[in-house]
Formats: sequence, C-alpha cells, structure tokens
Amino acid sequence: MNWIRNIKSNMNSWAILSIVFIILILLPNLSIIFQFFSEPNENWAHIREYMLNTYIKNSLILVVAVGVLSAIVGSSLAWIISAYQFPLRNFFQWGLILPLAIPPYIGAYTYHGIINYTGVIQTTLRNQFGVTVDQQYFDIMNMPGTIFIFVIFLFPYVFTITKAFLARQSTSLIENARLLGSNPWKIYFKIVLPLARTSIVAGVSLVILEVLNDYGVVKYYGIQTFTTAIFQTWFGLGDLASAIKLSGTLMLIILGLLIAERVLRGRKRFSFTTTKVKLLKPVQLKGVSKWVAFSYATTVFAVAFIIPFIQLIYWATLTYEQFFSEDLLSVIGNTIMVALIAATLITIMAIVISNFSRLHRGLTAKLFPKVTILGYSIPGAVIAVGIVTLFIGIDKFMYQNTLVSSYVLSTSIFMLVFAYVVRYLAVAYNSIESGFERIGTSFTEASRILGQNITKSFFKVDLKLIRGAIFGGFILAFIDILKELPLTLILRPFNFETLATNAFQYASNEMIHEAAVPSILIIIISAIAIYFFHHVLERE
Amino acid sequence: MFVHIRDLQYRYSNSDHLTINKFNLTINKGEITTILGESGSGKSTLLRLIAGLEMPSKGNIMVGDDCMCSQSKFVQPERRGIGMVFQDYALFPHMTVSENIKFGLVKWSRKDKKARLQEVLELVNLEGYEKRYPYELSGGQQQRVALARALAPKPKLLLFDEPFSNLDADLQIKIREELRKILKTTGVTSIFVTHDQEDAQALADRIVILRGGEVSQNGTPEEIFGTDCDISDRIAVKPRVLSRT
Repeated sequence: MNWIRNIKSNMNSWAILSIVFIILILLPNLSIIFQFFSEPNENWAHIREYMLNTYIKNSLILVVAVGVLSAIVGSSLAWIISAYQFPLRNFFQWGLILPLAIPPYIGAYTYHGIINYTGVIQTTLRNQFGVTVDQQYFDIMNMPGTIFIFVIFLFPYVFTITKAFLARQSTSLIENARLLGSNPWKIYFKIVLPLARTSIVAGVSLVILEVLNDYGVVKYYGIQTFTTAIFQTWFGLGDLASAIKLSGTLMLIILGLLIAERVLRGRKRFSFTTTKVKLLKPVQLKGVSKWVAFSYATTVFAVAFIIPFIQLIYWATLTYEQFFSEDLLSVIGNTIMVALIAATLITIMAIVISNFSRLHRGLTAKLFPKVTILGYSIPGAVIAVGIVTLFIGIDKFMYQNTLVSSYVLSTSIFMLVFAYVVRYLAVAYNSIESGFERIGTSFTEASRILGQNITKSFFKVDLKLIRGAIFGGFILAFIDILKELPLTLILRPFNFETLATNAFQYASNEMIHEAAVPSILIIIISAIAIYFFHHVLERE
Repeated sequence: MFVHIRDLQYRYSNSDHLTINKFNLTINKGEITTILGESGSGKSTLLRLIAGLEMPSKGNIMVGDDCMCSQSKFVQPERRGIGMVFQDYALFPHMTVSENIKFGLVKWSRKDKKARLQEVLELVNLEGYEKRYPYELSGGQQQRVALARALAPKPKLLLFDEPFSNLDADLQIKIREELRKILKTTGVTSIFVTHDQEDAQALADRIVILRGGEVSQNGTPEEIFGTDCDISDRIAVKPRVLSRT
C-alpha cells in the first residue's frame, strides 16, 4: 500500500493547483496535435505542393543568418565590455541592452521610413546635394533587410547572457591566459568563444524563437515565412484546418531544432562554473584600440537604439495632438489592463508550479518546469490557432447543451488573457525559479520542522526571501505582453486595441507618423523596466 | 524505548543503490545518540528521514507512542514535533533572533511565548540579543540561536546535522561541552550526525557507526573506542588549524 501513502502525502493544494495549471497550458497544444492528423483538404494539398518549400526555406534562412550574426555581434560586444575599459564602457554595460526595448516590428517600419524615397536620408541627399540615388540600393524591404532588423534588435539576448557569464565565471581562466601572454584576439577565439559557448547558444536560441514568433517584421517587409503563412491561410483563405497543419509542421521544426541543440551540445555541455564569484577586472585600453572599441560599441548602439528612437520622436512631434485624444487613452488603458491581469495570473501560476516542483521529488515535479517553457518556444500564431480551436470547441459544446445562448468564451477578452498566460508563463517562471534556487530549501524545511505547513511556510518565509525575484518575473512578463503583436492581432475581441496593434495598424496603413506615438510609449515603458532591471536589481 | 526505527530503507529516485538499508535503531528517553559516518554513508539522509523531510521506501519509525512512518502512514514534518538544528543553521535572515525563536511557538499565547523566549535565551546564554538579525551574529552565536529555536517548542526529539562543521576548532570544543550540558539539563532525547570521531566521543551516550547505509557498529563510546585513550589526548595529537577570526 506504499503508493497510496505516497500519493496521499504528496497531495496538497500546491500539487493540485500545479496539475490544474499544467493541464490548462497543455490543452491548446494538444488541440493542435490532435487536429494535425485530421483529413487534409484541397488547400493543404496546394500549400504543400507550391508554397510549403518557400516557407521552410525563408524561415530557415532567417533563423540561420540571424542566429550566426547575432552570436557574433552579441558575444564580441560582451567580450569587449567585460574585459576592457574604454570611454563610456559603464554606460554600454546596460545601454547595449536597450535595443530590446524596441520591438523589431517597430524598428522595421522606422528603418523603412528612414531609408525610403521620402525618408530623411534620401530627401537630404536630394534637397541639399542634388543627388538622386538608385532606389535599388536603398531598399530595406527584402531578406537582407529583414535579417539586419532582427540582428540589431535581438542581439542583446546573446550580449546579456554571455556578459553575465564572462563577468562572473571565467575570471581565473582569462587572467591566466593574459598572464601567459595571449593576445586579445587569441583569448577571444581560443578561450572566450569555447568557454562561453553554452551561454552564447542559450542567447541565440532565444533570438531564434523570437524570429520564428515574429509576424510584424516579415509581414511589413513582405517575406513569406511560416507565421505569415498561418495568418494568410487562416484569414485570407478562411481555412483553419490548413492553418493547424502549418502550425503542427512548425512545432515539429522547432522540436527538431531544440533536439538538435541538445545533441550538438551533447557531452560538451560543460560550463566552467565555480561558486567563488570573482569579478573580471577590465584592462584599460590605450591608443587606437581604445577608440576602435569605443566606435564599435557606439555604432551598434546608435544603429540599434538612438537612430530609430530619434526618428520616432521626430514623427511623434508631427502628430502629438494624438496624445490628447480619447482613442489613445482608451488604448493605453486596454494595454495596461490586459497586461496587468495576465502578468498577475502568470506570476501566481509561476509561484505555485515552481514551489511545487522544488519541494517534491519524482517525475511530475521534474516535468512541470519543462511544460511551462513550452509556450515560450511555440510562436504566438501557433498558440493562437490552438487556443481558438480549443475555445470554439468548448463554446460549441456549451451552446449545444444550451448552457449559453451564444459563443461566449471565444469572443471575450478571456481568450486573449489565457493566450498571454500560455505564452509568457516561462518568463516569470525562470525568474522565480532562480529566486527559489538561490535560497535553497533549508529555510522551508526549517520552517516546516518548526510546525508550519507548506503554505504557511511560503507566506511567512519563502515569499519574503524571494520578493525581488517575484517582482522581477512580474515586470518581465508585463513588458513582454505590452509589446506582444501576433497573439493580440488574432485573439483580441472586436474593436479592442492595444499599443502594439495600434502602432502596427497605423504602420501597415502607411500612416507611419501616427504609429510613432504608441511606439514611443512602448519603447519608453520597456526602457524604464530594462534600466530598472539591469541597473537597480543587479546591484542588489 | 523512546525512539524505535525498524528496517528502514531509502533510495534516491535517480540512483540504483540503496542510500539507507536495513537500518534498525532504538534509543532510550533522554539519551544522546551520535551517528558517525563518512560523507556518503547516508547519515544526513537518515536524519532527514526521521525528520520527515524524505519519505522512506520501507520501514517504520516510532517516536514516543506515535507512529511517524509506516507502510500506510506518513506524518508530515510539521506534525511530528521533532526539532532540528541544520548544518547551515537555516536561521531566517529576515527575522530577528526573537522572531526566529518564537517562530515555532505556534498557538502559544503571547505571554507564554515571551516567557519561553527568555527561558531558552538564558539556556543558551544569549540574553540581550533579541533584537539582532542573524547576519549581525558570529558563527557560534548563530548556532546557539539555532539551538534555542529548535528547543523552544519543546520537541520530543532533537536532531543535529553536523552541528560543528562551520565552527573553528577551539570554539567547537567549548560549544560541544556546553551543548552536552544544555541537553542533559533539558533532558531532551537527541540524535547527532557527524563525521568527527572526537565529537562523537565527547557528546554521545551511544554511538552508531554507519557504513554504506547500514549499521556497522552500535554501542557506548567505551565499547567502540575502548577506554585506554583519553579524549583530550586525541585532540592534542590531531593537527588542526587553530586560527580564530
């Protein structure tokens, strides 16, 4: 009767809630998997025959090119900034994270606006210098342009993770290499790259997931990828069944990528870690090399943040009356409301699941964290497909059993909030899990031995000790939701606009100046959060 | 017999050998038992099993007249009435000394809590430290707070996980003596886990030597180490770093 005892003593409110949450997260994914194997229709045959190859080709080109380039840009900047002292270095430490505040789709239409025929570069050349340029060289709406946009706005993922690793974990090895007389290039290629491989790969996988998730950039620049294809078949052809098949295919590809990453790392999964945290002391650069390092960092910062930001501010000054319109206020209100609700739910769920899985042994406790990450690996459009089919299914069931008089769930804000939760649970989860890891389990155990049950221990002890991590997780989820585009476009109720959809809609309608105000609001809120995070929280 | 452990068995889920195997032990009321073993012998796991922090795959644990664990029953750690002093003390960093000590006095009245606080503080010689936070205390003081906190709810059984491993050598000897005195005054039944033979000899009424998760010897210190060798000799012979910071 051992197993009955085991189940009984492991069943508490945390376990039950965790199981319920995990099932909720799995449902939309399962609904795709089930319908993936349904009978294909004519559209699907057509898509597979003529279009699928293009989608796969374009998506792969983007993934590979953006992955490689952002690895180079991110890791080289991380190395320069960890190891050397040069003008403005301390600012760049967090300044180079700021490009993350600009969602790539906003960057995309901003750069198009800067470079096109009526943009600031070409008009200046024409009016001041009388030069009319060949449009062929001033076109950004193509594959290289798309790659450029993704790299400059997403490289900070690689930069931050690699920098954190280099600054803390590699000090003795790099100092040794310096003492042995290796030159900087040699240290970079022979030591930094191989050592930091795990962190670089981790950063690049985040970049790749973002690229596959993106709808805004590729739609605006007219590149056919999986995500645009899902939108097109669903809303252009009205064919949900084929959209499900595309989604399932994309899920398989991502699964393949994730497995490939595991296999590639294989046994080389070592990461040189010591518990002794010794900060790497930067070496003062002199002469030419000082200015080379400075110019490199400055150029990247200018291209990835300052230039698009200034352009947006200029456009915003042309349309600032918008600020005072009721429309914008209601859009801001909507955005903050859904983001607050969803981020709160996400934080609560992340706390429950991570507390459960750290206090219990066994397979379920080990599997649950993996499931929370699922939503973050799957592109928004795919999640949207899963959730819509799920909710319509439930609505149909309730309608047929005359529980409701119309389709309630699939037309409500509830569906959008649920989608945010599925997609961004991992963001808060990671932060909270690392908070729990830092405090370990001995405080909780001490509290339990002193007579408090798991729940009381959580509120009296654990919660107080990981407040920072919980707040951090909440903010990260909030910001991600604020910027989210594809899910919101598909799942929002009729006439419901957020800052992100507002900006994207204006830009798509070639009302680029009007798109500036909502864009700037998104960027400023995100930038404040980033500053807060990497400047205030990291010091603690 | 106050504590009675029969046929205890434990296996970590990711391991294929038994961490604890066929473990039997009986302890009389008020006795101080030391479980001596090298790292990896399973001694800490044993303590966690008794505390209820791990669930055994087999075996029974009785404390007093209560069954803590059997094939059909498992009492959660918060309901066992067992105290524990952790290796790293696990003092709650966000609470003062008095809050830490009062933490386990669930359902006591305010007045009783206050009286008990003074009582245990006196016992461990820390009167006047109520308002301090753990980080404001030295290692030795932290350990006493941990002891006071564990003693405060009047546990039936008190467990110590390598209690001296974080202390300097000379402090260790002093505290060891003190601790034995305190435990004998309160008459609490206790189990120590250690890898240090001297600790075991100095403290224990009974020593259990654990090897590979099984009992290899069980007896009084004299029965196990003989009487020919004085404890203080051993301490003098064994080279040790005697720096105190």
